[in-house]
Amino acid sequence: MENKKYISVYFDDEMPLLQAVGMLREKNENIIDVLTPFPIHGLDRALSIKRSRIPLVGFIFGALGAILGFGFQAWVFTVSYPLVFGGKPFFAVPSFIPITFECTVLFAAIAMVGTMLIKSKLKPDKRFVPVDENITDDMFVILIDAENEKTTLESVKSSLSGIQTVEIK
Amino acid sequence: MQSPIRIPLIKGRKTYRNVTFDILDPMMNKPGKYWYLGISLSSAAALFGGYMIFWTIWQGIGTWGENRTVGWSWDITNFVWWIGIGHAGTFISAILLLFRQKWRTSINRSAEAMTIFAVMCAALFPVIHMGRSLLAFFIFPYPNTRGLWVNFNSPLVWDVFAISTYFTVSLIFWYVGLIPDIGTLRDKIRKGFKKTMYTVLSLGWKGSAKDWHRHEITSIMLAALATPLVLSVHSIVSMDFATSIIPGWHTTIFPPYFVAGAIFSGFAMVLTLMIITRKAMKLEDYITVSHVENMNKIIIATGSIVGLAYITEMFISWYSGVEYEHFALMNRVTGPYWWAYWIMMTCNVISPQLLWIKKLRTNLVFTFLLSIVINIGMWFERFVIIVTSLHRDYLPSSWTMYKPTIVEIGLFLGTLGFFFTAFFIFIRVFPVIAISEVKSVLKIAGENQPKKDYTHGK
Amino acid sequence: MDEQFKFKKQYRNILIIAMAGGLLISVAAILVFKPGAPRIWANVLLNNQFFLGIALGAAFFLAVHRIAWSGWHTLLQRLPDSMTTFIPVAFILMLLIYFGMHDIYHWSYYEGHDAVLEGKKAWLNVPFFFIRLVFYFTGWITLTWLMRKNSNALISSSDIKYHNRRKIFAGLFLVFFAITVSTSSWDWIMSLEAHWYSTIFGWYVFIGMFVTSLAFIILLIWFLKRVGYMKYIRSDHVHDLSILLFAFSIFWTYLWFSQYLLIWYGHIPEETTYFIKRLENFRPIFYINPCLNFIIPFFTLISLKSKRNLDWVAIIASILLVGHWIDYYQMIMPAVAGDSSAIGVLEVSLTIFYTAMFILVVFRSLSNGPLIVKNDPFLEESMNYES
Repeated sequence: MENKKYISVYFDDEMPLLQAVGMLREKNENIIDVLTPFPIHGLDRALSIKRSRIPLVGFIFGALGAILGFGFQAWVFTVSYPLVFGGKPFFAVPSFIPITFECTVLFAAIAMVGTMLIKSKLKPDKRFVPVDENITDDMFVILIDAENEKTTLESVKSSLSGIQTVEIK
Repeated sequence: MQSPIRIPLIKGRKTYRNVTFDILDPMMNKPGKYWYLGISLSSAAALFGGYMIFWTIWQGIGTWGENRTVGWSWDITNFVWWIGIGHAGTFISAILLLFRQKWRTSINRSAEAMTIFAVMCAALFPVIHMGRSLLAFFIFPYPNTRGLWVNFNSPLVWDVFAISTYFTVSLIFWYVGLIPDIGTLRDKIRKGFKKTMYTVLSLGWKGSAKDWHRHEITSIMLAALATPLVLSVHSIVSMDFATSIIPGWHTTIFPPYFVAGAIFSGFAMVLTLMIITRKAMKLEDYITVSHVENMNKIIIATGSIVGLAYITEMFISWYSGVEYEHFALMNRVTGPYWWAYWIMMTCNVISPQLLWIKKLRTNLVFTFLLSIVINIGMWFERFVIIVTSLHRDYLPSSWTMYKPTIVEIGLFLGTLGFFFTAFFIFIRVFPVIAISEVKSVLKIAGENQPKKDYTHGK
Repeated sequence: MDEQFKFKKQYRNILIIAMAGGLLISVAAILVFKPGAPRIWANVLLNNQFFLGIALGAAFFLAVHRIAWSGWHTLLQRLPDSMTTFIPVAFILMLLIYFGMHDIYHWSYYEGHDAVLEGKKAWLNVPFFFIRLVFYFTGWITLTWLMRKNSNALISSSDIKYHNRRKIFAGLFLVFFAITVSTSSWDWIMSLEAHWYSTIFGWYVFIGMFVTSLAFIILLIWFLKRVGYMKYIRSDHVHDLSILLFAFSIFWTYLWFSQYLLIWYGHIPEETTYFIKRLENFRPIFYINPCLNFIIPFFTLISLKSKRNLDWVAIIASILLVGHWIDYYQMIMPAVAGDSSAIGVLEVSLTIFYTAMFILVVFRSLSNGPLIVKNDPFLEESMNYES
């Protein structure tokens, strides 16, 4: 995105933004990205963003955590160093449950957040420069791919006639 | 769209820009004299506490008042008290998110920060009460030359896993929520070390729709995980007592009762902090009286559950027919620590019931005072549970009395100092309110929407 | 907006035949198999408790949502409201237990000297037992009636005072219910094992009640939509009900496990006898209980898609109803009937009788007015609810 040519359309409210997205997609314009200060309800549908599979990652790693947690405790108490604690049997299933549960949650949480950061390419980078400083404040922006000749400032302006925009550049 | 009889959650007809600048104001300007006064006091207490920690580890647990048979007293009381306080943060972030309560957006950020600081305070006590604290790593299961493992059967080890997981997940949840707001900060601070720090911490957040999508789903999933986590953590803490066979400790109601008590005291602490914060940082339009009222409702609910648990325990201690259980109760009510028991009952059972009165529920001064009363009461609840059951258990020849030393008191004050110091620093470094979340509910729940008159026939 | 459920003759006939059939087969089973008085009365108690629980849980659902200013449930509030009309019927059925007291409650009649039971005599005696029973039901019936009356008033009038009064009664009901759900479960179920005690017992039974109510509400919605009513209930509403069903099934499991773990861990004979009895003689039922009530709902309702599919959720709801019936079974039967208990013709037919009776009462109340409370201030919000 840094090196591509693009046209940015600015809005100051989410309603015209949603309308514009609809219109641009009707005209088959290639929308690279939409930047907003907060998540907009309905935008995912308008952009046909597929539902993230992060919950599935959470489920798989949670299951892994459960198996590892339970398995490790069971191994320690039946194979490695069986000791009689308070008259409990070596394979004390009820005792193992709390730690198994904690391991499930821990693995799932770390895996999901890790996935989110990796897929969104979020990393500490002190050289980062935002597209516009007001996006995190109150500006909504659509970034349209301007690589092909058909998409120009004028064509975009005419597509969006009737919608209140702040700036197109 | 919202029903017109709902009270607006954000007052003052704010725009998105208003929200940004109202909340970012403290980070961009210099602190006032009250902030300096506050942090000086809390740092002083923290430093004193630090010295008490050193003294405890250097001289030993003998500097405390604990002795046979009272092996746990202020240390574990404080531990449970702090963990309990931490639970409100997760409750507000996670459980209220799952119940789709929009009013949580103004308070969840500070409540989560409060959780992290509270868990840090809590974690101190298990470490220093070990005596040989430098060997604290023994509690983790690592392969060692002795061929030994930790006792996974013990609730104390369950605690290790529970508290570590809770701290990690709370920290992650808090930070993930913060990322977009750090982005906002980054874009408003022009230059300097602060700008670099926020740029790095914002991880390059640009507000892309796909990123928001993932962020929302991750937040909901973390909330879904944090909910059973919060229940499990305080349940496991309660099992430190309930798995024993000591009268007054061995009772099956402890897990849910402790969880209710934790949310109860946690919300009280959130109220204590928020009532001051909203005034000091001029955020009354965001943390409104309606928010305070909703928190008070949760306090009545959880306080009543705690009261119900007390009644249940009282009744069953008679119903069980076990003389030791009966004695344990009588000893609490009329024994040498009767004053602690009655402080607990007054603060926890009687005072929150006053919140059924709407005038009191919406009165900020009353709420503030009540929140402190509740936290005092909840401290005494843990003290009563621990000390009254330990100082007189099965063998009358072993009965003893317990008195705290200045070291134990100093440790507790030190944790209070640390907690408030951390909070004072937090409010100047990170946004106290979740900026992007408030913006996302501004249209629906803010004061801009037209109000219809809904009272017909009057 | 004004659609009303027509309690068609066809439904009425099916239910009456089911009731009659259930009752007749039960009587026949008693005469043929001669199960013994304890098992018969245990079945009566089981079904009384199970269906009363569904009705009370529905009242709790409404009370909690109303006092929390929740909007999404407004569309479907008439369903739980009509479920609460079963409570007076349950009252009469519970009074019948008087005739079977000696067969199921050991403390009401025992030979010789039992020091433990003597110590509890102040609470566990027949007169006080029934005074408490009357007290519980009076409070429940009065408060649910008051909530229902004010809710129905909002159908014809739009005066906000009914909504406000409804909130007050919701609060009163919650306080009364919180205390009495515990004490009633101690009286009616925990005292079956009169030597045993568990402080968490009341809460454990209560959450089971709530799960069964949610399951029944879901099944009601499924049925009504199938015959063409309530088209305005969308997958958004179903989603929230499924979340509650999922979450409270997990919460029930947590309470079940807490009770089990703490008693197992403490290893105190006075307490462990409860589980030993169930693990030795009722092992399969004991383990099927958490499978039906936790394993199945957890894995089948965990995904987002499954929570929004009404047909799927209805299947899980049915399984949960069976599962919680089994939960009550393992609470009641081992204590009362011991070796002579089994899930046989009597159990099935009596349950069919009760089920049909419950549905009959609910349908009657439901058909008394429109399905939507027209002037509820949260109605529009509920209609447009998105999740």
